[in-house]
Amino acid sequence: MSNLRKMKTYIIKILAAVIILTQAAFCNLSQAAQTKGKPAIAHASENDIKAAFLYNFIKFTEWPAGKLAEPNTITIGLLGEHPFKDAFDPVKNKPVENKQLIIKDLGRFRHSFPQNDAGNLELANYTEQLRKCHLLFISGSERDNFKAIIDTVKGYGVLTVGETSDFLDIDGIVTFVPGTEKLVFEVNQKVCEQEGLKISSKVLRLARKVIDNDKADAVNKNK
Amino acid sequence: MHTKEISAGKSAALIAAVLLSGAALCFAEQNETYDSQKLFNMSPEELMEVSAVSASRLPTQLQYLSAPVTIITAEDIHYSGLTSIPDILQFTPGVDVRKLDRQRTIVGVHGLFGTFSDRTLVLIDGRPAMDPIFGTTHWENLPVMMEDIERIEIVRGPAGAAWGANALNGVINIITKKPDKCSDGLISTTINEYGDSFTHLRYGQTQGKWSWKASGGYEGIEDSDAAGAGKYHSDAGAGGGGGPGDGGGTSTSDFSARDWGRYWKFDTQADYHADEQTKYSMGVSHSSGQEGDFEFTGFYPRKDILTEYTRLFARTDHQIDDDTSIYIQWFGDYWDTHCRVIADHVIYMENDLETQLSFKPADDHTASIGGNIRWNRIDTHNHSDFNENVVGNADEYWAGLFLMDRWAATDRLTLESQLRLDNYSETIADWSARFMAMYALDDKGDHILRAGFARSFRAPGLLFRNLNQQFGSGGSGVKPPTHINNENMYSLETGYNGKLSNNLQVSVDGYYQRFEGLIGPDIGSGGGSTPGDPSPPDPGGGSLGYTMFENIDGADAYGGESSLTYHCDKGKLKVWYAYNKLHTDQLYQSTRALAPATYKYGLTGQLFLDDDWVFNSNYAFQSTIKDTQADTKSYRRLDLTLSRKLAGGKGEFMIGVTDLLNDTTKPVYCPGYQTSMELPGRTFFVRLQFKF
Repeated sequence: MSNLRKMKTYIIKILAAVIILTQAAFCNLSQAAQTKGKPAIAHASENDIKAAFLYNFIKFTEWPAGKLAEPNTITIGLLGEHPFKDAFDPVKNKPVENKQLIIKDLGRFRHSFPQNDAGNLELANYTEQLRKCHLLFISGSERDNFKAIIDTVKGYGVLTVGETSDFLDIDGIVTFVPGTEKLVFEVNQKVCEQEGLKISSKVLRLARKVIDNDKADAVNKNK
Repeated sequence: MHTKEISAGKSAALIAAVLLSGAALCFAEQNETYDSQKLFNMSPEELMEVSAVSASRLPTQLQYLSAPVTIITAEDIHYSGLTSIPDILQFTPGVDVRKLDRQRTIVGVHGLFGTFSDRTLVLIDGRPAMDPIFGTTHWENLPVMMEDIERIEIVRGPAGAAWGANALNGVINIITKKPDKCSDGLISTTINEYGDSFTHLRYGQTQGKWSWKASGGYEGIEDSDAAGAGKYHSDAGAGGGGGPGDGGGTSTSDFSARDWGRYWKFDTQADYHADEQTKYSMGVSHSSGQEGDFEFTGFYPRKDILTEYTRLFARTDHQIDDDTSIYIQWFGDYWDTHCRVIADHVIYMENDLETQLSFKPADDHTASIGGNIRWNRIDTHNHSDFNENVVGNADEYWAGLFLMDRWAATDRLTLESQLRLDNYSETIADWSARFMAMYALDDKGDHILRAGFARSFRAPGLLFRNLNQQFGSGGSGVKPPTHINNENMYSLETGYNGKLSNNLQVSVDGYYQRFEGLIGPDIGSGGGSTPGDPSPPDPGGGSLGYTMFENIDGADAYGGESSLTYHCDKGKLKVWYAYNKLHTDQLYQSTRALAPATYKYGLTGQLFLDDDWVFNSNYAFQSTIKDTQADTKSYRRLDLTLSRKLAGGKGEFMIGVTDLLNDTTKPVYCPGYQTSMELPGRTFFVRLQFKF
C-alpha cells in the first residue's frame, strides 16, 4: 500500500473517531452540561476580570500596622452603582492572606444626614464604615462626590480604586482606564505612599501609568 | 482480505474505545466550578494577558487555547533590547530562525523555511503581511516598530481553519498597541558598535471619543564588511549561479558584502468610539526601504533595491448585545519594489474585505461565522537591459468562509470545532479544519489536557506557477509546471498546560504531521520526466536541464515542545526545549526550504534588581540542519541587557550585547539563497529612551 493510501486510510479513521467522539459527547454529556452551572471555559467578562484584579490588589498591597487592627478580616467596600453583582461570590468570606475576606456593598454615597444627635451618630457610623475598608471601589456613579469620598477616607490607609479617567486627579490611588479592550490601570503612587500603603512592584510594573512620589509627574511604565 | 479484516477489527476497537471514553467522560466527576473562581486564582500578569486570539479568532483564556500558542509580551521585547521581530522569534520554542544577511532572516514554525518561507502565515493585527508572488514575509520592510508591539502570538501548528489558506505550519500574529494604550510620547534610539541605528518616535492621545497614535522611525543597517565580517565562503551551496560577481560570475577577488539597509517607517491608527457598542478604526502604515544586493541563486546584481510598502485598513466593530458582536474590515496591502533579480519592477496590490459575526447559539456554545474576499493584482515589469523578467502578471481572487464553535460540554470538557473553505482562482477550492478537545483534570482548571486533529493547506504563489527562466544558452533553466496543486497537511496534536503553583507553569505539546504534495524544484526534469526523480541533484550546475516546480512528494513530521515558566516578584524565568523532526518521502527530495533544526532549546530570564535596574538574558540553541546541498551549521546565541530607569522613570538607559558567544556566524545555505559570507556575531549596543 502506498504512503498516500495508508495516510488516507489513517485520516478516514481519525475523522471517524472525531465524529464518533463528538456524537458521543453530544449524546452522553449534553444532559450533564444542562444541569450544571456556568461552563468552566467561558469568556470572562470585563467586570469579572476587574473583580479578580481587586482581589489581587488585596494580595499585593501592604497596609500600615494600624490599619490591620482587626487582624482576622480584610474588607473590600463597593461604593455606588458598581458592576460586580455576584462576581465576588467565589471568594466572599473565604481566607485571603490568612484573613477572612469581607465584601461590603455600601450603596450610593450618602452626603447628608439629619442635623441631630441620631444623624450625627449615623454619620459617624457611616464614615467609620468607609474608613475601615482596606480597599474601597468607587463607582463612576459617584463622580459628583469623588472629592467628598476621598476627603472622608484620607489618612486612613484606604486603597481607593476608581473606574474613571479623572480618578487620579482627585487623589484616588488606582483607576481602571475606561474604553480599553483589555484591562488597563493607572496608579497614583504619591497618594499611595501618603496613605502608608505599599503596592507590590509586581503590580506596579503592569500599570500603564504611575504618578511618581516626588515629582507627581505621569510616568508611563507600560512598555 | 485478511488485511481488511484486521483493519475492520482495529476500526471496531477504535470505535469501541471512543464510545467507552465518551461514556467514561459522562460519568466523570463534575463539580460546580465557575470561571470567576479561576480568575481569582490568576496572577495580575495572567489577568492582563487573559486571552489570545490567534488560535481561534476569538479571545480565549491562555490555558484553554485549542492550539499550542507562545506569547511574546511587550515586556519581553522591551527588555531584550532587540531591534527586529525575527531576532526575538528565535528565542521561542519550535520556531526556526536563521539570518541570511544583515537584513534578511528566514523564519518558520517547525521549519520548512527558506528564501521564500511561505509555510508560516504572518499577520499584523490579524491582517496578512505576506507577498503573494513569493509567499514570503519581508520582515525588514514591515512598517512595525518594536516598541509598538503589544505582543506576538505564535501558533505552532496548522491554523488554516482560523486564518485561511497558507497557515500551513503555523501563524505568527504581531499585535500592535492600540491608540488608547499609547497616550504619551516616546522617543527611543538604539545604536551599536558598527553604527547601526534604530530610532523611533511615537505620540498618541485620547480625547473624548477619539484616540490616535502616530509612530515614525528610521533604521540604518551597515553591511557585513563594515560590521567586521563579510568574509566570502567559497563552499557556498551549489546548484545556483556560482559565486559573487556581477551577474553571477565566479570570481571571489572583487567580492564585497552589500547587505546594508536603510528604512523609513511610519505607522498611525485612529479609533473613534461612537458609543459603547460601536467603534470605528482606521490606519495607515508605510515603509520606504533602500537595500543592497538581493543575492539569489548566486546572482549578485550590484544594484540597490528600492521598496515602498503601504498598508491601509478600515474597520467597524459593533457589539449587538452582550453575546453578539460583528466586525467588518477592509484592508489593502500595496508593494512596489525595484529588485533586479526576478524582474526589474514588481508591484502587487492586495485588497481584502472580511467580516466575522460572533454569537452564542446556546448557553454553552460560543460560535463565529465569517468570511473574506480578496483580490490581488500583480504586475512585474522589465524595462532595462536586464532580461530576467520571468514571473509575469496576474489577477487573483480568493473567497473564504469559516465556521467555528466552542462548546463547553461539561464543567471540564470543552470541544472546539473549526472548519473553513477557501476558493482560489489559481488552483482549486480547498478546506481547513481543527477539531480539538480540552479537558480540565482538576476543579480549578489548573491542569488542562488537549488532543485533536487539524488540516490546512498552502496554495502556491505566482513564482512557483509562472517562473520561466533560461540560464544562458546551455539549455538549462526553469519552466512553469503544466499543473500544480496545493500542498496540504494533516496534523494530530496533543498537549498539556499545567499551573503547578501560583508562580510555576508548565506546558508540553506533541504532534505528528503528514504533508502531501509538497512543492519543490524537480531538478533536471526537462519538462517531461516523472516528478520526484529520486536520484541526487547534480551539484555541479551547468547542464541541469530544466527545473520545474511541482508537487513532488510528501513528508512526515513529528516532535513537540515543552516549557517551564517561573514568575516571582523579582522577575521571571522561562526554559524551553523543542524536538522537531521532518522526513521527506524521498531521500533527495527538495522542499525548496530547510527542514527544522531537530533540537532547539533556550532560556529567557528577567531579573528586577530593584525598582530601577533590570537584567535580561536570552539564550537559544538550534542544531545543525542537514540538507542535500550543504548543511546549515548549528548555532547558539546569548543576548544580555542591563537597563536602568532615569529621571524618575521617564527615561531608560540600556546597555547590551547580542550574540555574545560568537565572533561571526557562518553562512546559511538555504535553497535559493546561497549566502556566501560570514555575518557579524557579538555586537554591543546602547539604547536611550524617554517618555513625555
